[in-house]
Amino acid sequence: MALSGLDIYKLLPKTNCKDCGFATCLAFAMALNQKKVSLDKCPHVTAEAKAALESASQPPIKPVTIGTGARSLEMGNETVMYRHEQKFYHPTGIGFLIEDTESDMAVTDAIANINALKFERVGQAISADLVCIKNSSADSAIFLNHVKKILSSTALNLALSVRDPKTASDAVKVCKEKRPLLICEDPGALDAFINIAKGNGLPLALACHDIDEAVRFIDKAKKSGVEDLLINITSGRVSDRIQAYTFIRRMALKKGVRALGYPILAFTASGTPDMELAEAVSYVDKYAALVIVKNRTKEFILPLLVTRQDIYQDPQKPVQVDPKIYEIGKVTADSPVLVTTNFSITYFTVAGEVESSKVPSYILACDAEGMSVLTAWAADKFTAKTISETLTRTGLAEKVKHKKVIIPGYVSVLSGELEDMSGWKVAVGPKEASGIPNYLRNVK
Amino acid sequence: MKEFKVHFKPHNKSVKVPKGTDVLTAAIKAGVVISAACGGDGLCGKCKVSIGRTTVLACQTLVESDLSVEVPKSSIESHEAKKHESEDFTKGVISEREKALELSPIVRKVYVELSEPTQEDNTDDLERILRAVEARIARARISTRLSNIKHLSEHMRDSAYKVTAVISCEEDSVEMLAVEPGDTTGRLYGFAFDIGTTTVAGQLIDLNSGRILGTRIAFNRQSAYGADIITRIIYASNPKGIETLSAAVLANIADIIDDLSDSCRVNLSFIYAAVLAGNMTMMHLLLKIDPSNIRKAPYIPAATRFGPMNARESGVNINQKGAAFFLPGVSTYVGGDIIAGLLACGLPDKPELALLIDIGTNGEIVLGNSEWMMGAAASAGPAFEGSGLTCGMKAVKGAIQKAEIGPDLRTKVETVWQEAPRGICGSGYIDVLCQLLKRRIIQKDGKINRSIKSDRVRNNGVNFEFVLVPKNESAAGKDIVITEDDIENIKRSKGAIYSAIMSLLNKVGKDISDIKKIYIAGGFGNYLNIENSIHIGLLPDIDRAVYEFIGNSSLAGARMVLLSRDLAARAEAVRKNVTYLDLSGESNYMDEYVASLFFPHTDMGRFPSVQS
Repeated sequence: MALSGLDIYKLLPKTNCKDCGFATCLAFAMALNQKKVSLDKCPHVTAEAKAALESASQPPIKPVTIGTGARSLEMGNETVMYRHEQKFYHPTGIGFLIEDTESDMAVTDAIANINALKFERVGQAISADLVCIKNSSADSAIFLNHVKKILSSTALNLALSVRDPKTASDAVKVCKEKRPLLICEDPGALDAFINIAKGNGLPLALACHDIDEAVRFIDKAKKSGVEDLLINITSGRVSDRIQAYTFIRRMALKKGVRALGYPILAFTASGTPDMELAEAVSYVDKYAALVIVKNRTKEFILPLLVTRQDIYQDPQKPVQVDPKIYEIGKVTADSPVLVTTNFSITYFTVAGEVESSKVPSYILACDAEGMSVLTAWAADKFTAKTISETLTRTGLAEKVKHKKVIIPGYVSVLSGELEDMSGWKVAVGPKEASGIPNYLRNVK
Repeated sequence: MKEFKVHFKPHNKSVKVPKGTDVLTAAIKAGVVISAACGGDGLCGKCKVSIGRTTVLACQTLVESDLSVEVPKSSIESHEAKKHESEDFTKGVISEREKALELSPIVRKVYVELSEPTQEDNTDDLERILRAVEARIARARISTRLSNIKHLSEHMRDSAYKVTAVISCEEDSVEMLAVEPGDTTGRLYGFAFDIGTTTVAGQLIDLNSGRILGTRIAFNRQSAYGADIITRIIYASNPKGIETLSAAVLANIADIIDDLSDSCRVNLSFIYAAVLAGNMTMMHLLLKIDPSNIRKAPYIPAATRFGPMNARESGVNINQKGAAFFLPGVSTYVGGDIIAGLLACGLPDKPELALLIDIGTNGEIVLGNSEWMMGAAASAGPAFEGSGLTCGMKAVKGAIQKAEIGPDLRTKVETVWQEAPRGICGSGYIDVLCQLLKRRIIQKDGKINRSIKSDRVRNNGVNFEFVLVPKNESAAGKDIVITEDDIENIKRSKGAIYSAIMSLLNKVGKDISDIKKIYIAGGFGNYLNIENSIHIGLLPDIDRAVYEFIGNSSLAGARMVLLSRDLAARAEAVRKNVTYLDLSGESNYMDEYVASLFFPHTDMGRFPSVQS
């Protein structure tokens, strides 16, 4: 069972010696609790406390890695049910299913397609992570051939989904350097699969009928010394699986159930592309660490990647809009100019009110490191100097005839200095964005 | 440069200033307090004065001839009014702890009768006195400054080697501050100060008896350069800005010292100790330490403890050889005033889980016990100090501090000193809001119920407002009202404090019901209605017996440190054991905050007694 920050504190020396780099033992305990620091930073901890803390500080969801190097896929080690509680650490891996019943040509095409699925959104590169090769043919030679082909043509991580242990063993020999995920399709062959995973140090997943079976699988694998495990539930409808995955996550985090503290592997089962997309998105949202999909088209994969990016965004980092001039409505050279910061919530609030005023206007979003108006002002990021520089940098003078800007009422204190510094006339707008429509309509 | 004389009425004070000085600066020089919340930028319009028949803004008007300036009542921050209010609490935890305190002031006097030197007994004068004192106080080496040695021989011979040594013990250093001829042990005094962003409070203490001789409270004169600390930090970056701000608060301190020592007939030269508690920005500004990084991420001050230093270095005008002791703090937002508060209420000495809430411009909160403490600051804003609200004022005479609203919406108010009402102070706003909620004049979201037909409820052109005191009954020359904007403002303040309490509890995995004691300190003068504070959702809805209002705990803590060397030493240990939690890094703080923007809360299950 996980310890609270205070429980951890009670096991520490409580000397506030600062040798760990934290101001107090309690601050260190809180950081330990949030897994922001490791216990070895404390040189004074007793062996007894260390043992107690180490067993307690094991992550509630085991970290598991597929692949090696920079492109490896890290999963697990999540600490919260909801993103806003802290953050999600590892974005769900997205993998493509390729069956070995597909022709050589089809596989060549598929891999070329998959390799091309790379996008850029809000300055970040987003792409899929893995190719899962399924031995649908039940033929060992065909499977091996496909594995070799895919191995040589993509840098993505691999998963091998197989029923027969001999086939699995042969395929592993070819690609074990890539540390692929081994998926056992036949519970009856589990022992053999455990041996392959153990012998090659590979992560292992078992297609389980339900949670009870998953618990037995985990128990068996752990007893045999295989710890890098993924849980996969195959039965039921989509809603049943979402429920099962939520239950697994909750048990691991809230009840400290070690037997369910492993990352989740999900396969989509829906027939139509629309339904498959909805299903995949649901698994990204509800707790899959790796989702394997059938569809490889651009229009399918882009929304899935975008959703993943949104959900796994760190909520503690403010989302920013580009610091630049925005035009709201049919602006002319006489339209008013409102100045605000580039914190997205601030910007969109202001933009929304300007739209509802029906007065075409320019909004100058200044770079304030994503802080809101008063916060940025207090932190010296939204000052006469920064606004003045933004005015110059964005070339606003070329867009409007007048030389007048409207600043938020809360920073009225900047007006004099801003006029002096920029040479623009400064009008003080309302304090709250809700006052903007009235202001724009009545003040000329 | 040419100088002109500026005369201020009704204060009847004059000052000579160079041509081109603005009237606000002249007023500050003359010791005339004019409120100017914006710091003299010509924005707030509060520093209106009359020159002849013209009304002008003092900060925007330059002196170009001799002038007579009439300061209207509305511009005077009535610091005289608050002068004689005492903040001494004669019952409760602080008083009990003070009684139990073993008197051992941080500065003491030791009278020694020394044998005169001879050719055989040839020890020098300094060694002679130090040895005798060391024997008496059983402490290690005593140091002293050159200035004390210069005239030592003279003093000792004049007084036939019967002298009094003034000794300070601070942390590990023992210093002989001065040598006085003869036995002066009966006369030893000290000052305790709380240096707040808005208020400065000082007390003169007889260090031989521990008795409080007098208390004075004044508005921090730095307010003329900005109401909040951010504006002041910005002001400090101007050329000479920090000198001006330091001089302003030192003038406050000097006034309190002069006034109290005069009225208590205590000679300044016998005042050898001053203990000061204040927030980190106030300490930086007073000591002229650059405060600019306090407002920039990651918000690291230059120092959190200062000294030891003598009075001369600090600028405090007690005996210049005396000791000035600044209570150490934890971080930028948990300062020496909170450490003083902790020492005063004794939270760090008891095993039971307790909470100290100091409600000021920042709501500072410390949760913990003798084993651990965690502190946080919530930017509550100055609403509970009566600032930033339409008819807000501080808890000085004429401020409404209690209110009742009848079923017919007629109102009955009680003011400080029973004077005609001039405005509403923090505790008054809490009462008024509570009554408005009970009479369903405002809804739980803080909006005024539009369907009420009454001359008390009206649309003011921007939003709705409630008339608490009509013009003909008010001394403000206008209706005293509470507007929807005011209510919104208070809602945010109370939400910030309540959610900080909840976040802190959440951080350490404790429940509000685990808390055995809650000490409420700060900004309300001497009165705070706990019941009403719970009703509006400022404080958690738990057993009322858990709560204790302790007034200005910062001043009380400073006084107790002045009187106890053990407590002075304890300050450092307490400070080191407080862990600072930056709420802005806590993801659930924002959830808690948003959830609390309702009267009393969006989750009524948390306020069962309000529900019924």
